[in-house]
Amino acid sequence: MKPSIVNIANLHKSFGGQQVLQGVSWDIAPGKVIGLLGRNGAGKSTLLECLLGLREADAGASTLFGQPATQLGDQARAWIGYVPQKSELFEWLTPVQMLDYFKALYPHWNADKVAGLLERWGFAGEARHKQIGRLSGGEKQRLSIIRALAHDPRLLVLDEPVASLDPVGRRDFLHELVDGVIERDTTVIFSTHILSDLERVALDVAFLQGGKITLQAPLDELLESTHRITGSAAALARLQFRDEIRRQQDRSGGVSILARLNGQEAAALRAGPDLRVETLSLEDLFVEVTK
Amino acid sequence: MMTSHAATLYSIATGSSEPIYRQLIEQTRRLLAARVLAPGDVLPSVRELALALAVNPMTVSKAYNMMETEGLLSRSRGIGMLVAERRAHSASEREALLRPTLERAAEEARQLELDPDAVLALFNKILKEEP
Repeated sequence: MKPSIVNIANLHKSFGGQQVLQGVSWDIAPGKVIGLLGRNGAGKSTLLECLLGLREADAGASTLFGQPATQLGDQARAWIGYVPQKSELFEWLTPVQMLDYFKALYPHWNADKVAGLLERWGFAGEARHKQIGRLSGGEKQRLSIIRALAHDPRLLVLDEPVASLDPVGRRDFLHELVDGVIERDTTVIFSTHILSDLERVALDVAFLQGGKITLQAPLDELLESTHRITGSAAALARLQFRDEIRRQQDRSGGVSILARLNGQEAAALRAGPDLRVETLSLEDLFVEVTK
Repeated sequence: MMTSHAATLYSIATGSSEPIYRQLIEQTRRLLAARVLAPGDVLPSVRELALALAVNPMTVSKAYNMMETEGLLSRSRGIGMLVAERRAHSASEREALLRPTLERAAEEARQLELDPDAVLALFNKILKEEP
């Protein structure tokens, strides 16, 4: 097994008495493309910031490339690309000035890639010389992505990278991920609520809930194995599963169980009477898991 | 005559409970059944298909690898993935394909508390029926 590129151990963080992260442990191997999922306010941004060492945790540690995230060396720093959810920095510079500024900070800078992306992503004309503060939300986000990709990072962390992009912008971004990032075996961690995009590129998903990573699995396996079993309370009371995610009763007395089953278990349940056994889409899964 | 297929051959649906790699496998089966794909045809490269569908190339690789293992596709150096020539499967391979279906039937038969001899007699009768 490859040594992990990100290792988080028992991370805690609270804001004004509110516990946001309550013991997150997360290990990420190189080359993974992971989608981080969770409800609004679950602490995804906080987790990504602590992961990168941009925010100090109350307890626990994040290690990147084997180094403490809060004391990264210059080399390790240059291996990281980060797209924050909202960037209000450098508003007085133009895109070209801002990129020149960053270029000077990195030992490696892919000028061809930057030129190509500026050209294709709407900065061919006057936008490249406009003050960043006067760009639209979508333009700012595209620029932030260009900046994060410019030095060919080994670890790319994206916090809601496509929230303000239109469908064409999102597709352009996916193409760049497929062609320029995943092809280079870059480790990618991204949070998003746009599940259709996540499905296309993430091979693994992790759910942040109640301040912890409650579920992490390869997406294909999760879609294939997770079943919702519904039926009468009496019928379900007898069922026990190795990997039960949740069991709940609705107001009318019906019970549903969310469990991960192998093919044989699912087939056996389907053959039985009085039960409904169904697989779920990622969206249904999100709703069920984060209830 | 060797046909090379464009990536537009395939489409995927997000928001499905069926993983994308499975959608690709199912579509290939349907295209084979409909004879859109014929033995010897060249499929789009992993990269080409991944870009056209905007999906992770690993997902396309996974689908291609599974279809190669299954014998639906074959890999040819310098050309890429080809639709496999239809070869005669050995009897034991064909039996292995049938086994999951029979296992499910057996499970149901036990749950219905049917007599094994009666079940075998029924299966014999079904085998002799014209499709």
